Amino acid sequence: MTETIARNPLAVALRYGALSILAFAVVCPLAWLALASLRPQAEIFQPVSEFGWRTFVPSRLTLDNYRALMSGDFPLALRNSSIVAVTTVVFGLVVNALAGFAFAAFDFRGKNLLFLLVIVSFMMPFEAIVMPLYVLISGLGWTNSYKALIIPEVANGMIIFLFRQFFASIPKDFYEAARVDGASWLYIWAFIAMPLSWPTIATSSLMLFLSQWDSFFWPVVAASDPDYAVVQVAIARNINFEQNDWGGLFASTNLAILIGMIPFLLMQRFYVRSLISGGIK
Amino acid sequence: MLSSRLTPFLFLAPALIGLVVFRLAPIGIAVAGSMTGTSLMGDLSFVGLENFAYLFTDAEFWSSLQVTLLFNLIINPLQLAVAFALALLVFQQGRAIWFYRLLLVLPMAVSTGLSAVLFGLFLDGNLGPFNGFLEWIGIGAQAFHRNQDQALGTLIGIATWKGAGYWMLFLLAGLYSIPSSVQEAALIDGATPWQRFRLVTLPLMRKPMAFVLVADTAINFLFFAPVYILTSGGPSGSTSVLMYQAYLSAFTFSDLGRSLAISTILLMIILIIVALELRLLRSPEDHAA
Repeated sequence: MTETIARNPLAVALRYGALSILAFAVVCPLAWLALASLRPQAEIFQPVSEFGWRTFVPSRLTLDNYRALMSGDFPLALRNSSIVAVTTVVFGLVVNALAGFAFAAFDFRGKNLLFLLVIVSFMMPFEAIVMPLYVLISGLGWTNSYKALIIPEVANGMIIFLFRQFFASIPKDFYEAARVDGASWLYIWAFIAMPLSWPTIATSSLMLFLSQWDSFFWPVVAASDPDYAVVQVAIARNINFEQNDWGGLFASTNLAILIGMIPFLLMQRFYVRSLISGGIK
Repeated sequence: MLSSRLTPFLFLAPALIGLVVFRLAPIGIAVAGSMTGTSLMGDLSFVGLENFAYLFTDAEFWSSLQVTLLFNLIINPLQLAVAFALALLVFQQGRAIWFYRLLLVLPMAVSTGLSAVLFGLFLDGNLGPFNGFLEWIGIGAQAFHRNQDQALGTLIGIATWKGAGYWMLFLLAGLYSIPSSVQEAALIDGATPWQRFRLVTLPLMRKPMAFVLVADTAINFLFFAPVYILTSGGPSGSTSVLMYQAYLSAFTFSDLGRSLAISTILLMIILIIVALELRLLRSPEDHAA
């Protein structure tokens, strides 16, 4: 089907024309922000009457806006986000890979019911339980702490699912052979199963990292104190407050977008495949 | 072999405790909390369905429910249509197509919050280029999220910019799973491209399309960050979706009971949607990847 359409030159032109317009609409805001963040502070305001190519291209490129960031509240936000995201990746990998291994390697009572819980937990968007989770976390006295940001996010149904899929693809004989040699299950998981699963480890790390790097609603609710503000929260506050450091806002927003986007670009093939396997089995 | 029997549960314990405490228990907390009231002294008391009864007489709740439903009635079919159009456009071989695919999915790597900030700047009259462009082509500057009639549409636009490429991926996977023999058979039978689309592609895409519609609806019923960041529910309540009402009730009006009552209503809606999703994934008609 695709080939016959491709032979019709008008259809090809229409397809690529439409795609180019759509791709431009998608990329334009991102490209504009990236360039605007490199603008000298004096050029930030763009009166609507002066629309032209200068609206997009700065007269000279400067890193001043990025340098100025270092003296504000942004380094703290970067630090908070990094601590939260990296800790979640480390613990999330261990905890969810262990569970994924159990679902793949063992038969036990209640397996199907427990696996249903796993699936429902990632089909239900996290936002649905933010308010009651806040009640729970404040009951534990955890509000405004790293604990509040990290611990509820460690167990992740999607990651358990991905590890289960991978570990289930390894023949059980493989594990049994090691068992016969006297290895413990923990040893088999850590030194046989995990090293084989590096593509799943890579995608899961990215997913866990992005789940924290991108999260906004939960940090706003659970850790609103400026000392614990993560990057998303710090940036969102800066767009609302009366302020004059627009250059700083451009630079911090662009930086936050890039930190999320670069690992995505590096791993998009793995990432997309895993995502689709989770959505449509 | 007691130890061997326990092994799977030891492996499962940390993750399952996490899911039960931080995903399952909050559902119970929402339901229980929605039936409590807080006195001025801060004491909790059981009030039964009073919070719900009060909600149903509250004009602000009804208006918020209306905004949420309107938002969902527009955004979900819109995102499905845009994502499907994109999927059909990039359902091709070749290096160039691969590059377009990459550009179209780029926004999925931008968080919803940062998308809102990005467009807050992009659409701003003084800071961004878009109003200058509109002046230049003669349409004239617009207020977008600062205008009561345009705010909801602006948020829908931002969410679609972010979401369309993401949902496109699932539909593209669906297109790839249609056996090429089916399309070839239709081609040999002399079907026109339109007939092949309507009679072959569309029926075989029902399941992936339903999946996208349902999963997207679950997310959009809980739409929050752009409202919080760009409009604070305004102007004049025109973007005050239920999730934002739940947030306001707890953190601005210190009415946790009302907040949890709204959360409970949203949770019920979401659980119905998840049940639909599960049925979809288990149904025997198995054309999806």
